[in-house]
Amino acid sequence: MSRYARRAIVIGVVVLLAVLPLVVQDRFLLKVFTFVGLNALVVVGIALLFGYAGQVSLGHAGFVGLGAYTSAFLAVRVEVPWLVCVAAGALVAALGGLVLAIPSLRLKGHYLAMATLGFGELMTLAFREAEPVTGGVNGFSGIPFPAIGEFVIKTPQQLYWLVWFSVAAAVLLAANITASRPGRAMRALHGSELGAQASGVDIVGVKVRAFVLSAAFAGLSGALYASIVGFISPSLFTTAASVTFLAMAVIGGSTSLAGPLLAVALLTLLGYLDALLPGLSGTTGELIQRFQADIYGLAIIAVVLFAPTGLAGLWRTRRGT
Amino acid sequence: MPDVAELLQFVIAGLKSGSIYALVALGFTLVYAATGAINFAQGEFYMLGGMLGVWFVSLGLPLPLAVLSAVTATAAVGALFELLAVRPISDGNPLRIIIVTIGGSVVLRQIALHLFGPDELALPAFTTGSSLKIAGAAIERQTVWIWALTALAVVGLVVLYRKTTFGKAMRATSLNRDAARLVGIDARAMVTAAFALAAALGALAGLAVAPLTQTAFDVGAGIGVKGFSAAILGGLGNPIAAVGGGLLLGLLESLAAGYLDPVYKDAVSVVVLLAVLFLRPQGLLGGSGKEKV
Repeated sequence: MSRYARRAIVIGVVVLLAVLPLVVQDRFLLKVFTFVGLNALVVVGIALLFGYAGQVSLGHAGFVGLGAYTSAFLAVRVEVPWLVCVAAGALVAALGGLVLAIPSLRLKGHYLAMATLGFGELMTLAFREAEPVTGGVNGFSGIPFPAIGEFVIKTPQQLYWLVWFSVAAAVLLAANITASRPGRAMRALHGSELGAQASGVDIVGVKVRAFVLSAAFAGLSGALYASIVGFISPSLFTTAASVTFLAMAVIGGSTSLAGPLLAVALLTLLGYLDALLPGLSGTTGELIQRFQADIYGLAIIAVVLFAPTGLAGLWRTRRGT
Repeated sequence: MPDVAELLQFVIAGLKSGSIYALVALGFTLVYAATGAINFAQGEFYMLGGMLGVWFVSLGLPLPLAVLSAVTATAAVGALFELLAVRPISDGNPLRIIIVTIGGSVVLRQIALHLFGPDELALPAFTTGSSLKIAGAAIERQTVWIWALTALAVVGLVVLYRKTTFGKAMRATSLNRDAARLVGIDARAMVTAAFALAAALGALAGLAVAPLTQTAFDVGAGIGVKGFSAAILGGLGNPIAAVGGGLLLGLLESLAAGYLDPVYKDAVSVVVLLAVLFLRPQGLLGGSGKEKV
């Protein structure tokens, strides 16, 4: 695909996403599209980590939760400005990522995957048990809307724009990374770790930075979620959610950002198919809800076996590039 | 001396869950030795064992037969999973194997949910009767069963590995796949066998503990983390070390839960996992660590 065609598609998608709230007035649908953006924020980070650095995380929901609870606690109990809460949420998640990544990534093999799974389980436990801070199983409610100074962001349109603006910033950052030296280093180590190392790539450093950045994106997503919905509970940040994020990145394909973003949109909307297609019968909607996890699991296996490069790879093959 | 009795009680509880972790850790070790990958579906084999056992009992099978059937059926699921999802990965890339086992774990969990429902289920105790008393501490009869079955499985595995041609072929494959092929060993069949054995061990663990803790479709992920922590604690790839790691992890958990707060019980395995990765990645019983890590 020529550079111009690619640029045209990107501009087209951005414009479409930007004007969507002007066309779609339905509050619920706007909320669904906002959730797509929140998931996209997490998956952009995982796409860097998995697709470029070749590392598996099964604990990103833990980072989302860490960001959500940190910002909620600061907003409600300490009453600091919203921007500080959100920044703190992302920062705490990034710190958590650093603590987890340094021991696991020093080693060859896939210790990080299991360490993140354990971390995720531990976080769910912490959110449930640390009742004075998190509100326990009943959750944390009454989280105020985002506000910058006196300006409160609270209509569905404004919240949608806030989230997608953050997604755009994250994608821009990720695209810059993949197009520059660290991105080339990541791709090199995905191809051959030994080769990358021999060429002077600090492979541990690259992986750790990718992981910490992905944790920060997840924390940001969680902090935004908390202030948009106003309520969080431990059941939102489980290993099942982590697997969903990973599934989106795997199905989207490696060494691509567009593929995972498309996968986020498709898989998130799948859960709300009955709202999107009013003609859909109630039982079909229910069936999809019931078998959603099955679909994720089977799709992961199918992609690895039959289309290891994911949606992005299918597209590239079709275009013959 | 009530304190000694209390300590003894914690040690008994620790060795009980430690035996379970040891069996799950052995499963990780077997598959890791055969493929170089971590099998994320290992915990689901534990879950399937317990669930299938309950189901076979509900069909009217006598308990020993139900347990045996559940172990066999889970082993078959393990072998089938390998044939359908792992073997087609022609390049044997561990990253792809890991992703496939993650997908497989979701599918197995969902199948269990659809077939057996979301409720917690219990298996009857293997033998009824009051607890045994030793120095003021009580040992439930099921705990004795757990120890006996674990010991039996470990001894059986050692005999299989050391004495039989089949076991030697498995070891040869894990040492050097290509060389094993050259001397006429069917290396692919050995990988299938590793998955079947790992599944059987996981199922045995899930069955042995089901009368005490109950079981449900979603118990797999948690036990997976613990079994893996145990395997890492001992040294991944070494079966004896996996058993030692399992028992040690069980003890640490039980003492932390007893003397600190029960809430910390589930945190111990993750802390142990990270601490071992940080300080001694080859595991406590591992050698130089150069060949595996």
